[in-house]
Amino acid sequence: MAPPAQAHRSPSPSQPSGKGEVSDLKSQLRQLAGSRAPGIDDSKRELFKKVISYMTIGIDVSAVFGEMVMCSATSDIVLKKMCYLYVGNYAKVNPDLALLTINFLQRDCKDEDPMIRGLALRSLCSLRVANLVEYLVGPLGLGLKDNNSYVRTVAVIGVLKLYHISAPTCIDADFPPTLKHLMLNDPDPQVVANCLSALQEIWSLEASTSEEASREREALISKPVIYYLLNRIKEFSEWAQCLVLELVAKYVPLDSNEIFDIMNLLEDRLQHANGAVVLSTIKVFLHLTLSMTDVHQQVYERIKAPLLTLVSSGSPEQSYAVLSHLHILVMRAPFIFASDYKHFYCQYNEPSYVKKLKLEMLTAVANESNTYEIVTELCEYAANVDIPIARESIRAVGKIALQQYDVNAIVDRLLQFLEMEKDYVTAEALVLVKDLLRKYPQWSHDCIAVVGSISSQNVQEPKAKAALIWMLGEYSQDMQDAPYILESLTENWEEEPSAEVRLHLLTAVMKCFFKRPPETQKVLGAALAAGLADFHQDVHDRALFYHRLLQYNVSVAERVVNPPKQAVSVFADTQSSEIKDRIFDEFNSLSVVYQKPSYMFTDKDYRGPFEFSDELGNLSIAAESADNVVPAQGVEANDKDLLLSTSEKEEIRGATFNVSGYSAPLYDSSAASVQSELAIISSTSAGSAPSSSLAIDDLLGLGLSAAPAPEPASVPPSLKLNSKAILDPGTFQQKWRQLPISLSQEFSLSPEGVAALTTPQALLWHMQGHSIHCIASGGHSPNFKFFFFAQKAEESSNFLVECIINTSSAKAQVKIKADDQSTSQAFSDVFQSALSKFSV
Amino acid sequence: MPVAASAIYFLNLRGDVLINRLYRDDVGGNMVDAFRTHIMQTKELGTCPVRQIGGCSFFYMRISNVYIVIVVSSNANVACAFKFVVEAVALFKSYFGGAFDEDAIRNNFVLIYELLDEIMDFGYPQNLSPEILKLYITQEGVRSPFSSKPTDRPVPNATLQVTGAVGWRREGLVYKKNEVFLDIVESVNLLMSSKGSVLRCDVTGKILMKCFLSGMPDLKLGLNDKIGLEKESQLKSRPTKSGKTIELDDVTFHQCVNLTRFNSEKTVSFVPPDGEFELMKYRITEGVNLPFRVLPTIKELGRTRMEVNVKIKSVFGAKMFALGVVIKIPVPKQTAKTSFQVTSGRAKYNASIDCLVWKIRKFPGQTEPTMSAEVELISTMAEKKSWTRPPIQMEFQVPMFTASGLRVRFLKVWEKSGYNTVEWVRYITKAGSYEISLMSRANGNPPFLAKVELDEFRFLQS
Repeated sequence: MAPPAQAHRSPSPSQPSGKGEVSDLKSQLRQLAGSRAPGIDDSKRELFKKVISYMTIGIDVSAVFGEMVMCSATSDIVLKKMCYLYVGNYAKVNPDLALLTINFLQRDCKDEDPMIRGLALRSLCSLRVANLVEYLVGPLGLGLKDNNSYVRTVAVIGVLKLYHISAPTCIDADFPPTLKHLMLNDPDPQVVANCLSALQEIWSLEASTSEEASREREALISKPVIYYLLNRIKEFSEWAQCLVLELVAKYVPLDSNEIFDIMNLLEDRLQHANGAVVLSTIKVFLHLTLSMTDVHQQVYERIKAPLLTLVSSGSPEQSYAVLSHLHILVMRAPFIFASDYKHFYCQYNEPSYVKKLKLEMLTAVANESNTYEIVTELCEYAANVDIPIARESIRAVGKIALQQYDVNAIVDRLLQFLEMEKDYVTAEALVLVKDLLRKYPQWSHDCIAVVGSISSQNVQEPKAKAALIWMLGEYSQDMQDAPYILESLTENWEEEPSAEVRLHLLTAVMKCFFKRPPETQKVLGAALAAGLADFHQDVHDRALFYHRLLQYNVSVAERVVNPPKQAVSVFADTQSSEIKDRIFDEFNSLSVVYQKPSYMFTDKDYRGPFEFSDELGNLSIAAESADNVVPAQGVEANDKDLLLSTSEKEEIRGATFNVSGYSAPLYDSSAASVQSELAIISSTSAGSAPSSSLAIDDLLGLGLSAAPAPEPASVPPSLKLNSKAILDPGTFQQKWRQLPISLSQEFSLSPEGVAALTTPQALLWHMQGHSIHCIASGGHSPNFKFFFFAQKAEESSNFLVECIINTSSAKAQVKIKADDQSTSQAFSDVFQSALSKFSV
Repeated sequence: MPVAASAIYFLNLRGDVLINRLYRDDVGGNMVDAFRTHIMQTKELGTCPVRQIGGCSFFYMRISNVYIVIVVSSNANVACAFKFVVEAVALFKSYFGGAFDEDAIRNNFVLIYELLDEIMDFGYPQNLSPEILKLYITQEGVRSPFSSKPTDRPVPNATLQVTGAVGWRREGLVYKKNEVFLDIVESVNLLMSSKGSVLRCDVTGKILMKCFLSGMPDLKLGLNDKIGLEKESQLKSRPTKSGKTIELDDVTFHQCVNLTRFNSEKTVSFVPPDGEFELMKYRITEGVNLPFRVLPTIKELGRTRMEVNVKIKSVFGAKMFALGVVIKIPVPKQTAKTSFQVTSGRAKYNASIDCLVWKIRKFPGQTEPTMSAEVELISTMAEKKSWTRPPIQMEFQVPMFTASGLRVRFLKVWEKSGYNTVEWVRYITKAGSYEISLMSRANGNPPFLAKVELDEFRFLQS
């Protein structure tokens, strides 16, 4: 019968384990089961309540399943409900026990009381046990024909539940056509609404396989159905109205008369107390009139008042949902709320998520007539205690400045922010001033005077620091101290954590050099030297690039670094209009809140590889697969297919062949690229203008000999590898079996590297560039497994590598085997440095 | 799909599950762990009520000491989901008789399970109206869990009414005395500068009704709103009576109100539910009568002293009075000592909210009490962290006063048996967010000293 009560898992040590209590309950229930004494129901109730309360706090009470079923023979409805609840909770994990309940549930489905019939039917369909579906069909069929509407509403949803447990059973029993008939004929609106929900789900899921289903799905938005539902709309509950309106929004009317008829019919819905109904109605209006420009404008006027009411009434969460929708509307029709901007002023006590959206609204509705008031209000918020909101407010002021033609006053405000001497205010303002200058260079004079007085030590945030440095470079001719500030920044190169700032610093020093050479010469040398020694690839490359550019021709360098600039007229929009349209199509849904179309957050492929659900779902799997991998090494001796588990074999074989198929040309190019750095430098220094390049280096005080080029961070490996190494898979397997593991290490991967691993091929190309070749690879996110090999340049001494990368932890576990054990450490260094440079 | 909620959770502030209901299998059972680790235990809590974690979206709301979390896996209708939670909470409250908190949930979990099954099936909202549900969801154990009386079986035809034509009202109600109570409750939201100019002001009002009427009565409500009056005079072709008319910005009604008739005839007619309900809500931005004007002056005398003077003027009729007036005047954190002089009520310093709290229990109209306080501050090292000057906040209730000026002109009740009804009407105006700014725009504090006029000038030119 019931399994022993060993399966307890108490969620926290503080809670009772429940073991004793459960066996207590069990014996008490037994006593009551057969008794027919008066007042027995009350004692049962107390016991049942205890069982349910244990269940709620997470104690496993499945052990009393049998006893509960025995006690269920009662006419007391409260008892019955508790029993149904219990059964519904444990049936899924105990399918065998669930069979016990079928009998009494089926009997209850024929009870004379419609309440009991409905409840029993609902519980029966909620068991969710696949091998019991045969017992569902009969009661469901009867339930759909029941003369009581409560039973019918339950039965309709029951059909949907059945479909999710076993779609074929549902389809074979011909339930969908029955639902359709009910939807079009049932007197009870809730039955109709539930039919609509069920049919929408069933036919959408079936549509991919059955043409008939997709026709039926289309038929739901045909004129007769839509008109039928619209004519009954007032009978529906508020939730069902949302459902119907959602459907109507998909309907395409034939002509404008139809559109006006529908809108006239629905206009009073805008007065509904339920905000969800109002929003659904608005969606219908907007979508119906998309092609009628002037009517569409009138719709905006009409929906304004209800929307503003929704913002100011209800809980903050509800306001949040509505404000998200207002935002998308105002983006499409900025005029709509222009005169109502005061509704979006923040209240002191509002939660920050509401404030944030209100700030966005204020930015969006700002126009020539209201800018002054809005900016004044925003400036108030800049002194807010809530720092994130203060920042957002400053950004909002900046955005408005970039929208307007008359920025005069706003520039003054921004400059005053700089004088407020609050670090975060200064930081935000600097970034904005930079953007402003890019759009309105004519303001440079006023801005620079203020910016020049800011001490760079007070600016710590990377974005702000980069902005300040950019201005120092761009306007170094106007700023007295520019070269000296840059100099002190360069002196602290080592302490600067942000690569973005270092990149900007390099460029700014270059710009400054062309404007004020004598003062900057020394700094430039120091900056280039520091840049060349930088461990960040981009910084290193840019420094190298500037260095060569200067060696090649100084005036060309000036043209590259300091070209005449045009003011930016419009900053690039972050979202394409296509995406915006898609979001608008999905008005009144999560898409609007997230500001992205639904496929981006419901489709698995679109979510990033580090998403939580994968992480959570695969946690156990990942652990298992890791387990599988490690012992595989242990039993390698008699494992014929050492490299590949049988399931992955085919797939990976294909990949390996691909690699070798493309390998030949690639080897050449990678060899070329390895040498290219040296080649260019030697050719310029030795060939075209040796003296000038030397002169430049001297001038800059770089103190470098012309060649070889400095490469301090990426120290050239002492170990030289053969870029054209060849090893056939058979030999690899043989060697892997024979050789002992000489090194086993764990490396961290850079985030860029992890990101690039979305295509594992990328790593293969990358490693080939470092003369490390892949022989086999496989795995799925987040676990990838690679086998690499390499050969020493001079002798045919091989290195074999097994590398398991886990993208979610950004770690690589590397096992190295080598012909020559003494060089394996050196190879490991090479491998690590190659791996660390891997990025997109 | 408006909402196909996959699960609903009720958690306490520590994140323990009080009660939960999984409606669908498309989300894992451990979703609540995700909510705890990714939202509750991070700074994210309270930054946004909608969050996506993996393939699921979480909607959450805090109500007293309970978090209610809805998990969905599809592109759900956000407004609908939040409205559902709000309605569900209202339903639970009406069952528990008031409070909704952790204890109430623990004491009534069986009932909540039952209700959760009725109000949502497989993730689709069903019937949430308390009037109907109370007909067939009964737990007389609600009030005292250990009282034991045999339950009445639900009235067999109760379910017929669940979805009947007038879904919100039972037939066959009988009252000895037929009474209707109307409450017009308005809350005033205000932001005023310290010089007394109104920066933002609106009124949200609602009409609450309590009906104890027999049979199936038809009610008609007349207000002094502009559109309704104009329509009426049009229909009766006689000029509008003089007197104040109110322009309502927007109105929403309880589902019992016949909206078609409102749109054509501008009358509010309805068959009311039994008992208490919210008949309508409205919003007004023009012509608001503010009940109070507040004139603060705050002088910072050096680093360690402040002088606070506040004058409050009640601008409603001299025969009326306000109740429960509380004025919270913020002071800096480093306040050490305060001394007060008030011409009415009592004042004290509340360190936990950094405010001087001035309470006046009964505040007659057309009076002008003042408070003057001296505040001594501890001088601190952190000079740069200047005081941000939060606004003065005010709470009050003014009975028999409406900030909008709205009045009920008539309430007519028709019932076929033709009984007489007694109608009671009450008005009350409360403070919504009633704030008086102490900021720079008012008294010329940094950072925008003197620049403001200049800007104005520039704007005029452009």
